[in-house]
Amino acid sequence: MPLYECNEYQFVENIRRLLESHEKFLVNRKIVLHDDAKYGPATIPEQEFERYSTLCMRKSVNSTVYAKVPFVDTFHSNRMYNENENLHAASALLFPRMSIPYYKVEYSVNVWGGTYFFSFDALFNPTIAIEKRTSKRFGGQGVLVHVLRYGPPEERVIKLNLPKEIMIFDVKHMVRVIDHSSNF
Amino acid sequence: MMEKKGIHKLKSISVLVPLERVQVSLSKIEFLLEDTVTIVADGKFWIKMLYVRGDETISISEEIGDAYPKDPIITICGSKTTISRIIEGVSE
Repeated sequence: MPLYECNEYQFVENIRRLLESHEKFLVNRKIVLHDDAKYGPATIPEQEFERYSTLCMRKSVNSTVYAKVPFVDTFHSNRMYNENENLHAASALLFPRMSIPYYKVEYSVNVWGGTYFFSFDALFNPTIAIEKRTSKRFGGQGVLVHVLRYGPPEERVIKLNLPKEIMIFDVKHMVRVIDHSSNF
Repeated sequence: MMEKKGIHKLKSISVLVPLERVQVSLSKIEFLLEDTVTIVADGKFWIKMLYVRGDETISISEEIGDAYPKDPIITICGSKTTISRIIEGVSE
């Protein structure tokens, strides 16, 4: 079964053509949370990095990122970062110490034995606050510390808005079957 | 001819016009920005914006950074009239 990758424009236009042809089809959607250190603060563009600028500093894209202030990352089991700690090294861009979680979103449609898909990653939104925290690390006393939280993007903004008559099935996993029958 | 209420059409266009012009065109027909998200597709970072008017939705995806030329992708799920007004608005 051939797999064809589309961008958003191509995928939506293909769906529109199918709708206009009155062909019956089903759209599958897979939304899965990933936290595999694929995205870190060194590699994100400046516009996205600004959202972390209270906590981190860097010279430019792909430069080493350091912590400006001590902070707690609640998403990763309240992991504590110290001031000037290396969060994402320019020499190890594939292995950020501070990682940004994301949803992997995949839309696919099967027609005439082929699968047409469109996929993208939607980054979680950071929110930064100053909170009073008590722990052994702070000598058992309550201290004010920066806290980083990641919130998932709203479903309404990550989903493709398709007309109501299109049936969308949510799936967990797509098993790609290799069809050898055409070889004989 | 009257359009059937609630029957939506689908259209996606990729236009070589600045985002600001697209946004002006949307605000003229009273679409409001509801939410944004940063996405990564085709190895590039994009800002995806969701505009809503009633039950009609429009999403605009534009590449982040210094990419040139900028060609935002506009995906419309709305009435025929909305689709034509947007196409006219961005091609004026």
